[in-house]
Amino acid sequence: MYGAGIDVGSTQTKCVVLDGNGEIVGRGLRMTGADVVKASEQVLEQACAEAGIETHEIVYTIGTGYGRFRVATGDDQVTEISCHAKGAVHLFPGTRTILDIGGQDTKAIKTNARGEVVDFCMNDKCAAGTGRFLAAAAEVMGLDVSEIGPVALKSTEELKITNVCTVFVESEILNQLSRGRKREDILAGVHRSIAGRSASLLRRVGVEEELTFTGGVARNPGMVAAVERRMKMKVNASEDSQFMGALGAALFALERAMAGVRRKEQEVQG
Amino acid sequence: MNRLERLIDEARREVEDNTFAAVRAWKEEEPGRACVGFFPVYVPAELIWAAGALPVAVWGGGDRIEVEMADARVQSFICSISRSTLELGLLGHLDFLDGMLFGSLCDVARNLSGVWARNFPDTFVDYLHYPQNLRSEAARGYYREDLERLGAALGGITGRTPGAAELAAAIDLYEEQRALLRRLAAVRTEEPWRLGLEEQQVLVRAAGRRDPRRHNEVLREVLELLPEREVRHKDGVRVVLEGSFCEQPALELLRTLDQAHCFVVASDLARGLCWFKEPLRRSDDPWSDLVEAYFVHAEGSVVRHFSPSERTERLLARVRDSRADGVFFCTAKFCEPAFYDFVLHKRALDAAGIPYLAVEFEEKMSSFESIRTQAETFAESILFFADEEATA
Repeated sequence: MYGAGIDVGSTQTKCVVLDGNGEIVGRGLRMTGADVVKASEQVLEQACAEAGIETHEIVYTIGTGYGRFRVATGDDQVTEISCHAKGAVHLFPGTRTILDIGGQDTKAIKTNARGEVVDFCMNDKCAAGTGRFLAAAAEVMGLDVSEIGPVALKSTEELKITNVCTVFVESEILNQLSRGRKREDILAGVHRSIAGRSASLLRRVGVEEELTFTGGVARNPGMVAAVERRMKMKVNASEDSQFMGALGAALFALERAMAGVRRKEQEVQG
Repeated sequence: MNRLERLIDEARREVEDNTFAAVRAWKEEEPGRACVGFFPVYVPAELIWAAGALPVAVWGGGDRIEVEMADARVQSFICSISRSTLELGLLGHLDFLDGMLFGSLCDVARNLSGVWARNFPDTFVDYLHYPQNLRSEAARGYYREDLERLGAALGGITGRTPGAAELAAAIDLYEEQRALLRRLAAVRTEEPWRLGLEEQQVLVRAAGRRDPRRHNEVLREVLELLPEREVRHKDGVRVVLEGSFCEQPALELLRTLDQAHCFVVASDLARGLCWFKEPLRRSDDPWSDLVEAYFVHAEGSVVRHFSPSERTERLLARVRDSRADGVFFCTAKFCEPAFYDFVLHKRALDAAGIPYLAVEFEEKMSSFESIRTQAETFAESILFFADEEATA
């Protein structure tokens, strides 16, 4: 039996396929683009190919993320907040607080041992302190977004980036560059700036150990280090961080598939 | 579109019309008709009607107005409703009003009344100082005098100073309306899927700008048609919505909550139009009835003075009475009165183990995806917990 979770985010669409034991057997990832339906179909095909199964072998699929209602193969939808909590507790069972930084929003989530959401809050309507903020900084530096974390870790001098606005940060970075400041110091300042904003969101739900960092931005080692320094605690981060929403959705899918099987067995016995 | 949908749609079109075309048409139908606007939260509509004028709720411009001129007169960091209401006036959309009333609500509303008087010197503007000490006999006497003063002032612009007979008749009319609005609210409490929150609220908001005789007929017909409506029971969580007593959320936001399976079964939406929680006690002195009603029968609201424990008890009672699973705080950005109470409410809900979610809104919101995600997550967290408990 297989369950699938498809997370249609603002930047990327992700898919995770789980087998009946809850093991990840396939992953799919692509840029979301304008055709959300197509993106969700393609990541499912990718994940099934990796798992070595046909798409029709998936018993239940849950859509999540902002495009969750556009997942054509989805049997049901669950929000990404519930899915990140579920996925994070599955990968790191000690998780009680989650920081999810995605392409256009940031969420702080408090969870219990079962991966259920106890409290949460989201950033306001602008993209300050999100993945888009980092992408804007990378663009000004002429770097790929995947490169800026390792560069920031080489910083030797503390430099304060005061702006958290995705638009205005560009001019602040240009200003610092024109003053001859080193790019690693500037980028470290950018990471600290996001960590500060994330900390205020986390404080609103109340921080309880362990803290797990999810979303695409969690793959940035500079960002993980900045959050750890700011929160003064170890942060769980995984290579699968960006798949956390899809993983949670797949876990929900598997639970529902199994509940369906149990119901059928009871009907047969009854 | 069936008859019920047509009635709701007519109300929707009227409440979304910032030019108040239907109200203007009503005024022109008969010579001598007058209209008096009022800013939230509460004004005694009965008194305006008894003085021969239609009370018109002037509650902002929603998402259908660009605030330009008003921002040159008031700060940009105050609530949307104050800025867009002033913009409506400056655009000339309120030039049919013969007067404008403000009540003691918050500093912004108080100052807006002054801004209004300076910007529209030819319009009658009045400010009602509601008593805060509800246990004082002197406050009752003061409030009665203020109502009589306002009645005389309104009579000055309409030529019909209300006497006891006119006031008693107006109270009857608005009592009937409040009873109908309570029945409408009860539909939401009992079967929230039978009447959308947005549908209910357009009917409530229309009460703020329609001839009450006409709107009461509409409400009666809606209530007759609702039981026959073909609907399907929907699963969701039952919530009390709190914090929208003054500035009103966009209709799309209200639709979003239903879509997120967050069923609002009790609320303080448009509180001023549903100010009294029960029928007024009637005597042969209607002035006294209005005073007593304010002191005794009014709904709990952050703009009335209660002790901290009374404030929280009222919210907990609303949760209990409506059999709600949680509370959805839906507060206008920069609304100080709502945020003051939120702290008290939050502590009480934490102590009682009642889940809650807090979001902020502004009139000019155009994307509700974030609120939908939050409301759905809130519903999921309650439903999934319930599932766990049921299977445990």
